[in-house]
Amino acid sequence: MNELSTDNHKNSSSLSIKDLLKKVFFIDLIQGLFITFNYTFTKTITERYPDDEKWIPYKRFRGLHTLNRNKEGKELCVGCELCQKSCPTQCITVIPMEDKTGKGIADRIAYRWEINLLRCMFCGLCEDACPTEALKLGREYELASFSMQRQIRSKEELIKPQPIPVEFEGGVIVRATLEKGDKEIKVKPDLSVQKRWW
Amino acid sequence: MENGNRDLITREVTLNMGPQHPSTHGVMHLILHMQGEKIVKAEPDIGFLHRGMEKIAENLLYSQFVPYTDRLDYLSSMTNNLGYVMAVEKLLNIEVPERGKYIRVITSELSRISSHLLAVGAWGLDLGAITIVLYAFREREMILDLFEMLCGARLTYNYMKIGGVRGDLPPGFIEKCKEFVNIFPKRVDEYEGLLTGNRIWLRRNKGIGVVTAEDAINLGLTGPSLRGSGVNWDIRKDEPYLVYDRFDFKVATGENGDCFDRYIVRVEEMRQAARIIEQALQQIPDGPVNADVPEFVLPPKEDVMTKMESLIHHFKLISHGFKPPKGEVYSSIEAPKGELGFYIISDGSERPFRVKIRAPSFVNLQGIDHMSKGAYFADVVAVISSLDPVFGEVDK
Repeated sequence: MNELSTDNHKNSSSLSIKDLLKKVFFIDLIQGLFITFNYTFTKTITERYPDDEKWIPYKRFRGLHTLNRNKEGKELCVGCELCQKSCPTQCITVIPMEDKTGKGIADRIAYRWEINLLRCMFCGLCEDACPTEALKLGREYELASFSMQRQIRSKEELIKPQPIPVEFEGGVIVRATLEKGDKEIKVKPDLSVQKRWW
Repeated sequence: MENGNRDLITREVTLNMGPQHPSTHGVMHLILHMQGEKIVKAEPDIGFLHRGMEKIAENLLYSQFVPYTDRLDYLSSMTNNLGYVMAVEKLLNIEVPERGKYIRVITSELSRISSHLLAVGAWGLDLGAITIVLYAFREREMILDLFEMLCGARLTYNYMKIGGVRGDLPPGFIEKCKEFVNIFPKRVDEYEGLLTGNRIWLRRNKGIGVVTAEDAINLGLTGPSLRGSGVNWDIRKDEPYLVYDRFDFKVATGENGDCFDRYIVRVEEMRQAARIIEQALQQIPDGPVNADVPEFVLPPKEDVMTKMESLIHHFKLISHGFKPPKGEVYSSIEAPKGELGFYIISDGSERPFRVKIRAPSFVNLQGIDHMSKGAYFADVVAVISSLDPVFGEVDK
């Protein structure tokens, strides 16, 4: 296995003139400093979050749960409770009810749909379990809050339309503004100004 | 001391290193028995991150345990997922389609690169070379971007599932992955430029923490820690799983078994992993990614929407799980840190009777006493970094 790697680094025993000169003139350290110096002239890759910029995740991102409606605006959730059953941490509560008013796609909708984000580990098994594609893990990831109660999110909030459209490809850094509220701090993205970092 | 006849013999001092010490890679508690500045004995005290993973597995359906394996070695979740699902697949006797196998190889090699990047970066950080970790993290960030695109998470991927993977490669993934593989070897040259020849790096690592090939085998070391001692043992090569036998790659080994050799092995493994990914991206065939075994594997979402049988299987599998045959299996893979094995005993019910995890970091950690005996206190930091233990995996 010598031909692989160790040969290049085995020069410590026989110190030739060349090696001695290298050592005297600090070539090894200069080589490293040269690499770092070169980076002075390259583009910055860091992201100024949360003041000016924000990362918009890719489509498959597993953030805060979203409940969806179909094209006619009917609730897709039929209250089948499969998400509750598939959840390894038992953080989802579903209470189904019968509904004849045509709110949902069938005559059964979720009366209550609650997720406890303190227990959730965002594994996405509920998403896989959902037979109607009602439940999707969305792209919201700023979930810190000042109270524990806020971490239990219910259907009424999750079914609202997403701030980032579903079709948006993601994987970009966009311009953003920091908004401090009483209950939460949010970074509002502006999708029109985008950049990629690599 | 055995050799220090001229050393001043003082009273033995016991020093606690950790569990909050920044260079102990997590919650490691090391009890060091010291004679002056030299180590007489190093005892790792583990268990601060114990969550009872093996017991949790006994109370969950087979498919529900996959996200928990993410939390074992959280720096390379993908290989943990792979180790577990391969063990269950062996129990169920499922064959994954070709495309699924190639995707698994690509993702686990990416995972290997990201794990080694952090190992080398944090190692530099521990020994005072702070630049390297910033550079290593840039490439690691690229890999995390790729993983986010692929499975939606940056750390706890939960991408593998029993019988395949959670989703096919998204459009644009192969191009981006190729771009990464093209950039990466040049970046490894940069790391080597920063570290490999650096005299401080050499003085801190050469001849430190020496473990001979025979001792390494006796201690049960695996992965880069074993190969650094010159033992040519890599499960990918010696007991090929998935499609590793179709790729041309070399197993990097060291000679002296010191910290520096372990570093060289890691760097070389990163290069070889990039080569494997490149070949896999060229060879990857079209086709399904999940095995078509309705009694064990969830049917595709489109089928659930349109076909009655698929919908029935879907409901059945989610709510009751599946019942594998009675029996025991052991399956192991080459994770970035060493041999990761899962031993599963099935009693024929839908939950495993017992899951034993052979975590590489846990076994490698017992080499620490052998490696740091007689060394200076500052060398222990280099030894810990060279073993690269991750405490999610050690404590389980």
